[in-house]
Amino acid sequence: MRRDVLRGRFTLVRRAVAFVLPSAALVALVLLAVAGSAGSASAQDPTGSPDPSATAGPAAPPVPPAPTPIVHPSDGSSNTCYDCHLAVNDRQKAISETWKNSIHGAGGIGCADCHGGDPTSDQVTVSMSEEAGYIGTPGRERTVGVCGSCHSDPERMRRYNLPTDQYAKYWRSVHGERLATSRDDRVAICIDCHGSHDVKKVADSTSPVYPVNVPRLCASCHADADRMKPYGIPTDQFDVYQGSVHGVALLTNLDVRAPSCASCHGSHDARPPRDTEVVDVCGKCHTATQALYEESRHAELGPASPKCWTCHGTHDVTQPGVRLFFHEADAPYQCTTCHSASDPSVLRIELDRFENEADRRCDTCHHARSTIYSQVEGIAGALSGAQSAYDTAAARITEAARLGMIVTDADVALSEAKTSLIQAQAAVHTTKLTVISGLATEAESKAVGASDMAGAKIDESVFRRGAMVVVVVLILVNVAALYLVKRRLDRQLHG
Amino acid sequence: MTGEAERDGGMTGWLEPRLRLGPVLGAALHVRVPMAARTYYFGGIALFLFAIQVVTGTLLALYYKPTPDAAFESVKFITSDVSFGWLIRSMHHWGANLMILFVVAHLLRVFFQAAYKFPREITWVIGVGLLGLTLAFGFTGYLLPWDQRAYWATVVGTEIAGSVPLVGEPLMLLLRGGMDVTEATLSRFFGIHVLALPLIMAGLVGVHLLLVHQLGLAHPKRPEPRQGDPTPSTPSTRSTPSTPATDERLRPFWPHYLLDELIAWYVLLGILVVLASMFPAGLEEEANALETPAHIKPEWYFLAVYELLKHVPRIVGILLPVVGIGLLTVWPFLDRSPEVLARRRKVAVGGATLVLAAGIGLTIWGYVS
Repeated sequence: MRRDVLRGRFTLVRRAVAFVLPSAALVALVLLAVAGSAGSASAQDPTGSPDPSATAGPAAPPVPPAPTPIVHPSDGSSNTCYDCHLAVNDRQKAISETWKNSIHGAGGIGCADCHGGDPTSDQVTVSMSEEAGYIGTPGRERTVGVCGSCHSDPERMRRYNLPTDQYAKYWRSVHGERLATSRDDRVAICIDCHGSHDVKKVADSTSPVYPVNVPRLCASCHADADRMKPYGIPTDQFDVYQGSVHGVALLTNLDVRAPSCASCHGSHDARPPRDTEVVDVCGKCHTATQALYEESRHAELGPASPKCWTCHGTHDVTQPGVRLFFHEADAPYQCTTCHSASDPSVLRIELDRFENEADRRCDTCHHARSTIYSQVEGIAGALSGAQSAYDTAAARITEAARLGMIVTDADVALSEAKTSLIQAQAAVHTTKLTVISGLATEAESKAVGASDMAGAKIDESVFRRGAMVVVVVLILVNVAALYLVKRRLDRQLHG
Repeated sequence: MTGEAERDGGMTGWLEPRLRLGPVLGAALHVRVPMAARTYYFGGIALFLFAIQVVTGTLLALYYKPTPDAAFESVKFITSDVSFGWLIRSMHHWGANLMILFVVAHLLRVFFQAAYKFPREITWVIGVGLLGLTLAFGFTGYLLPWDQRAYWATVVGTEIAGSVPLVGEPLMLLLRGGMDVTEATLSRFFGIHVLALPLIMAGLVGVHLLLVHQLGLAHPKRPEPRQGDPTPSTPSTRSTPSTPATDERLRPFWPHYLLDELIAWYVLLGILVVLASMFPAGLEEEANALETPAHIKPEWYFLAVYELLKHVPRIVGILLPVVGIGLLTVWPFLDRSPEVLARRRKVAVGGATLVLAAGIGLTIWGYVS
């Protein structure tokens, strides 16, 4: 309750600021404050859902620090650092060999390109001297500048066909922003994700930034309660994601098309998607569903509209189904979930009500006494009927196949029914009963057709088995008759 | 005279003056076989199954279209739409499996009873050839439905053939009609399956039966007397129609032995009908050269070789069956002792038992792995 009041106050403040204060500088300051409040709201949100009220546009990006290139003498080929460090000790040898096998080692990006110094001299007093530009291990902030000095340079990156916007993006990420504004060097920098001496291509399946490895990479920090404590953000995202439909596809089925953390949050520009962005973020993959949603009455509601995560969650997205329509028991609805407490005619959405998966149901808003409830019932009934017909057809086809019957035709018909069923299910995003009912009826009709084909196969199998019994009996009668003749002949032979 | 015969003998009386097959049929049927002979009717059953294959195969050929574009659909049409097409195809499918089973059983019976020894060495060699032909029937027929299993089993099978030293690569090219399993492979497999193999097999079966007829069935307990033997140990197993049936250890081939065969054939027909009805021949997805199935296995009769190849060096896995078949073919010329009793042929019987056990073991292993 107190949270609602606080959130209401924040909303009021934001509206006042947005409409009353014209100064761009002040807007930037207020947006910064909103970003801070979004962080604290997330801390109370076990699913990690961003604050739906944070509908303001992206904050004006801080001007990124200039990259800090390393200038050092070079003859284009010498790397005496490698030659000497191989012999220093085991640790240095391992580092040298790791670099040699890295993408940088293979591409001729030498030690001095990051550490400075003179790689043409084999005298340590020269090669590792300040005069030669040797900087040792660069600090964390400088490391970003060192990486960015090459990776933001289009001339250098052209031959590798690599993008050059990572550096600028990084400073717009939550990580980069904190590093720049709070000098918080505990945030992730380039080497925390890509490695330092052992940088590999993203497409290398052993690279930590290979899509399948990304969730564990992010979790290496974000699942660490001690590390996340100062930021007050939850640490269960990886565990939750792992069991989600996305996590299973990526981590269990190794389907690299499935989204990892970076797919929704961004990688170099990592930050939680905003309420206004989420439909586009999900729509990157679910293009057709996004188009259907944008036709819907929901999409017309503006800030009060339910978004993808209202019904599907965030890290815990599960396989959708007819269960998403209604609570199993009576829904304990609250008016303030969807209506403003002060003015019921003003619609709002209280996202906290949808944190619990069991409450991500249509009747959380469209309760039994609402005018739209019967429409929800109609949609649920149409889809349940189509699903039931599909399940029946699938079971009969399985039975016919078990009997050894060829069910190719029925399988094709069932696939067509499946396509229509998926279209009907996706059409739920339009919220239009007539559209959904039409597609559901089509799916049901195709499923019944497939079921009939399978039924005919089962009947055919029963007939064959019946005929088989008759034929076997006739054969046995013949065998018995022949056996009698044989006995008579044998007796004659011996007699 | 002819008119009287026609009047007295009905249809036989009418046909005989026109065909004059009486003496031939008499010579073919009126022979005697040792009562001690235990053939278990394996050879006769294999012959019956061959006849089933010829009849059902001919019916299938009426609808089958041997091109990659049409083969799969034509088999589906036969199985789903042609009246009793499912029965014909399923009987052909099960008949093929049972034929291999009974040809092998026949070979084992002959081996363990030492029926391959003098004077039946040539009969044995032809018999081994008939086993090879039966396996070739299975291999070439397997591709014809042109589904995923058929296609990929043939890819693997022809690759194995390609591993045979010296002749492997040309053999694989010859079988496939190119580098890959394509339309050319289907055409030649079809041609071999329905033309070349049946003609060769019919010829060899004819010679095999002729030799069986000429030499008679071997006595399982007594060696065949050789020319110049001082004391013939057994009477001749053959007799002309005029030979009186006084020897109690012999019985007429017609009708006594042939009646037993007929009963065995009826039983086999019943088994075929049950198998075809309970487990009809299936069809997987249409062959797709770009989609390799997860588990490719050959048919059960090649599983032992397939499993062997997984556990021994490839060259050993290829050469071992080749040498084995070669050894099997010339075995009567290596084992020349007249002894027929199993208990006195410990090396041959023991060795064959071990090979048989290894073959069964590898087949089961290949099936479950």
